[in-house]
Amino acid sequence: MTESKSNQAALTRPCVKCRAQEATLDSRSQPVCRDCFVKFISTKFIKQIDILGKKTRPAAGPSSGSSSGGPPTLTRRYLLGLSFGVSSTVLLHVLSENLESQLAKGRTAPFDLIVVHVDASSSLSREGADNSEAAAAAAEAVLNRYRARYPRFTFHNVPLSSSSSSTQSGNDSSEDALSLLSSSTTAPPTAASQSDLRAHRIRRILLASAARHNCQALLLGHSTTALAELTLAEAAKGRGFALPWLVGDGPAPPAPPSSGPQQPQVLVHHPLREALRKELVTYASLITDPSPLTDLISEPMRPGGDGTGSAEGTTTVVSYRDLSIEDVMTRYFAEVEASYPSVVANVARTAGKLVRRGGSGRDEEAAAAAAACELCGMPRDEDGDKRWRGELGIQEEGEQGTEGFAGQLRGRLCYGCERSVGG
Amino acid sequence: MARALCANCKTERAVIKRPKNHAKLCKGCFIQVFEDEVHHTITSSQLFHPGEKIAIGASGGKDSTVLASVLKTLNERHGYGLELVLLSIDEGIKGYRDDSLETVRRNAVQYDMPLKIVGYDELYGWTMDQVVETIGKKGNCTYCGVFRRQALDRGAKMLGIKHVVTGHNADDVAETVLMNLLRGDLARLSRSTSIVTGDSRSEVKRSKPLKYSYEKEIVLYAHHKKLDYFSTECIYSPEAFRGSARALVKQLERVRPTAILDIVRSGEDAARLVPGEEPSSCACLGQKAAAGVVVDDDVGGCGSQSGRTPGGEMAAMDKQLRDNEAHEGLEIDVTKTMAKGAVARGEKRDVPIRTGNASKGAPRQVLGNCKRCGYMSSQEICQACMLLEGLNKNRAKIQI
Ligand SMILES: [Zn+2]
Ligand SMILES: [Zn+2]
Ligand SMILES: [Zn+2]
Ligand SMILES: [Zn+2]
Repeated sequence: MTESKSNQAALTRPCVKCRAQEATLDSRSQPVCRDCFVKFISTKFIKQIDILGKKTRPAAGPSSGSSSGGPPTLTRRYLLGLSFGVSSTVLLHVLSENLESQLAKGRTAPFDLIVVHVDASSSLSREGADNSEAAAAAAEAVLNRYRARYPRFTFHNVPLSSSSSSTQSGNDSSEDALSLLSSSTTAPPTAASQSDLRAHRIRRILLASAARHNCQALLLGHSTTALAELTLAEAAKGRGFALPWLVGDGPAPPAPPSSGPQQPQVLVHHPLREALRKELVTYASLITDPSPLTDLISEPMRPGGDGTGSAEGTTTVVSYRDLSIEDVMTRYFAEVEASYPSVVANVARTAGKLVRRGGSGRDEEAAAAAAACELCGMPRDEDGDKRWRGELGIQEEGEQGTEGFAGQLRGRLCYGCERSVGG
Repeated sequence: MARALCANCKTERAVIKRPKNHAKLCKGCFIQVFEDEVHHTITSSQLFHPGEKIAIGASGGKDSTVLASVLKTLNERHGYGLELVLLSIDEGIKGYRDDSLETVRRNAVQYDMPLKIVGYDELYGWTMDQVVETIGKKGNCTYCGVFRRQALDRGAKMLGIKHVVTGHNADDVAETVLMNLLRGDLARLSRSTSIVTGDSRSEVKRSKPLKYSYEKEIVLYAHHKKLDYFSTECIYSPEAFRGSARALVKQLERVRPTAILDIVRSGEDAARLVPGEEPSSCACLGQKAAAGVVVDDDVGGCGSQSGRTPGGEMAAMDKQLRDNEAHEGLEIDVTKTMAKGAVARGEKRDVPIRTGNASKGAPRQVLGNCKRCGYMSSQEICQACMLLEGLNKNRAKIQI
């Protein structure tokens, strides 16, 4: 007792965790030192990656659901969605640290990691075709810097315009909703709709890549804050039914039949789900060896629009017309996070408790797959659709847009995607 | 610059762009469509049956005035066979209700409907002024809030009416959905989206026929129909979570006007995903889950949270959550050092959050009825009766 007292006496503001070093940071309203903060973040990460590790134990019995084709995986194989933003870059870094520390102890690598960046700089419609080559080159240059820093991992750059699913098998279903949308001359008119469709498209491309690369899980960098934003943003876009699939950890919804042959099930996990966004920003700023981690990070133009959790809010509002629902949520939660961080954490935690249901059948994979939305891939709520039309007399409204793209896809999209496609 | 023609009749000039679906309509068509949609809600949800006596919770504000006007119109047009009564609550705060009650009295004449004004003194034996006299200014908001929650139901019961309709609109419901997501309150999320609340255990059923109507359209409707309403907004600020959700809904609406209905839709869908809820989307089955106390009144009046500092509610919850986390951390450390394994590690997580008045955390409330007044309550004696007991003891003391 006396000993620890004398130790503290030497410090003006001792770290509450180790009591041995000067506190230089505030963590959840407690003064901590740099080392303890870094440990705090990695502890949160390790807890989550261990949970995933248990679910994906290689060859642990019949439950390891990857036996449909190809050789059985002997190592865990994960795919990381990298947006070049803070959160996914930090996730990449802690995954690397984790791997290196295992190797340093003489153990085998706990997982293989494939990193995929979906290049969203080309737009949904084909207006941006001229720029897309330059954009691809720019993305490739950034990726090379990541490659140099994390040589153990494999990196890929996938353009947003790539078909999410059936390319590899050669099974071209011409009715694919995504190709219909990209060939459609009428791009979604508003920033909100474009941002929504882009985010969901990125998610599907990442899932398809994970399946293609025989990965057991897709890892996304979402912080607690990003998950809270996602919860309220998807609710605001009419995807309340899909919330547990989007916000929780677990299997991705079964792919719609139109997306080609049945793919092995992929888990979606968010290993940074217990860290606040501001904590990840702090963490990134503390990693300076061999060079500042922040040098790698380039936030995408549109905060929150990349579906992998991202960006600090950009500052000035141009016009509400140019904002997306995601932008509004990013701004909103930046404020809430500053004053009430635990409220933010509680949002994501609670949304994760909602029960996953698909289609009209209960938890039945086949029913869910049949009722999956052809754009976002989330389960459609057929019961809800029926009732909603009845309640609102929405038919008249729909008739306005029956020609063209929206008409062709009627009954194949979820409520949220119908909204985005229609405007 | 020729104005666009009405998308509906294609003859009149369009004067309204509907926030709901961007349709441009003339005045006549807008009024017609607005009424048709409320009619649709009423019939598809089977809200009423012929001969039913309905009390319209009337505050003199725009929502309840539009509700009364539309219901009168539809009742006559479609032969619902309803007996409509205006029901207003007077908290008994000197001068406070004068203007709004005057409006309601005029409405009663305009719509040719009977009006019943029920005072807190009739309902509880106490006016708010008397409560304040007894317990002082501090804390009287608790009383007002609790009393107000039950007032419409109790008033209806006095009149022998089993169904109260309120003027809650789509904006209110959207706000409540976001608020409950924000506060992590799944139990309330599942209740709040239901068009009908109250079940066999409650003697009075409540419904909101304007649940899908935009506040903006309600204002437009009142304007174009030249309705007589009392336009002063409630002077009390809403509690922090509701206020925050309200601001958020307004921003979302600006970015994407359909967001309000989209949130309502999300709320209805997510309500069926709350653990323990029935997956059915049928309105009549939903009623069971919907049983509960309706707090979000539009009846105006004293906000139960007015004594608080803005943000107080959120700050309190944040602190409580942090304490829980710290407690949880401690628990794990202790079990570790005692090498007892994973005792109760998981269970600690779901401890309901208790933050003074904001204690809405319990995932499953067991609802019964108050032994004294019969009102739905999760306790043996409901909150109002508890407060009354305290007040009456005080009165007895004073009289001795
Ligand atoms: Zn320390
Ligand atoms: Zn969809
Ligand atoms: Zn017209
Ligand atoms: Zn009682």
